[in-house]
Amino acid sequence: MAEIKVRNLHKEFGVGEDKVVALEDVNLEIGGHVFVSIVGASGCGKSTLLNILSGIETPTNGQVTITQDDKPANAGYVFQAARLLPWRTVMDNLLFVQKDRSEATRARCQRYLEMVQLGDKGKKYPGELSGGMQQRVGIARAFSTEPDVLFMDEPFSHLDAITARSLRAELQSMWQETKKTVVFVTHDVGEAVELSNRILVFAKGGRMADDIDMPLPFPRDVSDPDVAVAKANVFKTFENIGALAVS
Amino acid sequence: MSDTDTLTRRRPPANPVERFAKSPLAGRIAFPLVCLLVWLVALEVVQSIWPFAVDVLPKPTQVLSFMWGEIKGETLAPYNMYETFGISLKRLGIGMAIAMVIGTVIGLGMGLSKSVNAFFNDWVVAILAMPNLAWALFCSLAFGFGDIGPIVTVVLTGVPFVIINVREGVRNAPLDLYDMGRAFGVSRGHIIRHVLIPSLMPFMFAAGRYAFALGWKGLVVAEVFGGEDGAGWTIKFWYDAHRAHGVIGYAMFFVIFALLFEKFMFDRLSRYFFRWRPEVNAADVVEERFDAPPPAVVTAGAVSHANTAAMESLNQVTAGPKSEREHGDDPRRHHDG
Repeated sequence: MAEIKVRNLHKEFGVGEDKVVALEDVNLEIGGHVFVSIVGASGCGKSTLLNILSGIETPTNGQVTITQDDKPANAGYVFQAARLLPWRTVMDNLLFVQKDRSEATRARCQRYLEMVQLGDKGKKYPGELSGGMQQRVGIARAFSTEPDVLFMDEPFSHLDAITARSLRAELQSMWQETKKTVVFVTHDVGEAVELSNRILVFAKGGRMADDIDMPLPFPRDVSDPDVAVAKANVFKTFENIGALAVS
Repeated sequence: MSDTDTLTRRRPPANPVERFAKSPLAGRIAFPLVCLLVWLVALEVVQSIWPFAVDVLPKPTQVLSFMWGEIKGETLAPYNMYETFGISLKRLGIGMAIAMVIGTVIGLGMGLSKSVNAFFNDWVVAILAMPNLAWALFCSLAFGFGDIGPIVTVVLTGVPFVIINVREGVRNAPLDLYDMGRAFGVSRGHIIRHVLIPSLMPFMFAAGRYAFALGWKGLVVAEVFGGEDGAGWTIKFWYDAHRAHGVIGYAMFFVIFALLFEKFMFDRLSRYFFRWRPEVNAADVVEERFDAPPPAVVTAGAVSHANTAAMESLNQVTAGPKSEREHGDDPRRHHDG
């Protein structure tokens, strides 16, 4: 079982007068087959936390451990923009992040491309695909490494509402099928409520303001009254921490 | 054809003459014809003012006859055209290879390190500002007659362009792709091979093209002053022999070689290395906009297209995301209308 432990995490950027505190004394534990969303306004440290968890950035202070059955866990990442190598084909983009290029690995990559409905696009270059298709490739790439933990940083924020909705449904079905631990950053409360069984609310200054359980059954429909109430409760939290105040 | 098609497809020209007139081939054929016309007119004008100029200014037929003789290997010069250009191309190739290696190493260093950049920057700008002629004269004095002077001139002419292009390539390196590789635990060597090097290729190509064009010119000047063979030296040979058709004929060979290299080497390599780039020609798009029908017709078509797209989107949502019918975000469908 994958387990993420964050202890007294602190992150600063810049020095002297330019110093900005991105994360302050963050403590959390995430484990098992969970879909955890981190929500908050722009600049509250959501993406910084994800970058530290994935090893892209290092913390100023504090400790992060990510394990799978007490061994270091493998992680996959879906970025805000797809971040595909434009000079490699779709299949080669998936193979780029693999440990080997064996037939079995190719078959696995093909399987994940089919899961995102791009099974016939393996030989295309990213420039030949639409934004939604490129983001699907990004999702397939992350799943194709069969990671223990999957980090996702606002993966649908650049897409139109229709495509984003379609991809959310695909992601949820893939998560149910693969039983990964997913940490998902978003500024869209509705998206967080639709996808997650746990929501971490972050406030300005990089503090974790609340940790909300979402026990509603999947799949969730935005028109469901229970989902609407859950969404309202998350907004209530934002109101309580003053994040909805107009400055 | 629907109204929508007029938005995305170019309207076919009315008749074959118009179609040919608008084709790139017509432009390519027209340019030398216009040059020939200007040449003949200029010849008439100059000779009507200075009748003695008839001995100096060659007619196109004289130049073509000279070039044909050279192509057949008949020449009064010590070396025929093939030997001459063989010698010059060998020097150009060696000089460019050295310039690319030195320029890439220094450019990488300047892109990756501020102190290396500070060390080289002013000198690179100074070398860049130096005229070809100065290098050619300096190298002739320093290395005398032979291969070394022209080769060093090519290196000195080309190397600052390579340095600056590679440095800019490193500075424009796709950091988001490096981070992506690191997030997935991809090895450093794999990232250099599959991210850094391909991202530098457009800059290397630009550098190669500049180094070739300017190195070619520098080489000829160096051969004029410090060569005992080669294209530059042969142009000077015909100049000393007071044969204007020889000078112009060799200059034209020179241009033809440059065009052949551009067309058959750089263009083909570019098409191979950058085959991943979507083929969108801005000139085509602009021309298409000018050719588009009046706004009223387009608006009607666009509304109809938007309605169809909206219905398609709604169907997509109601049928569910895993439906087989969901191909709505395939960009080619939009182009095809």
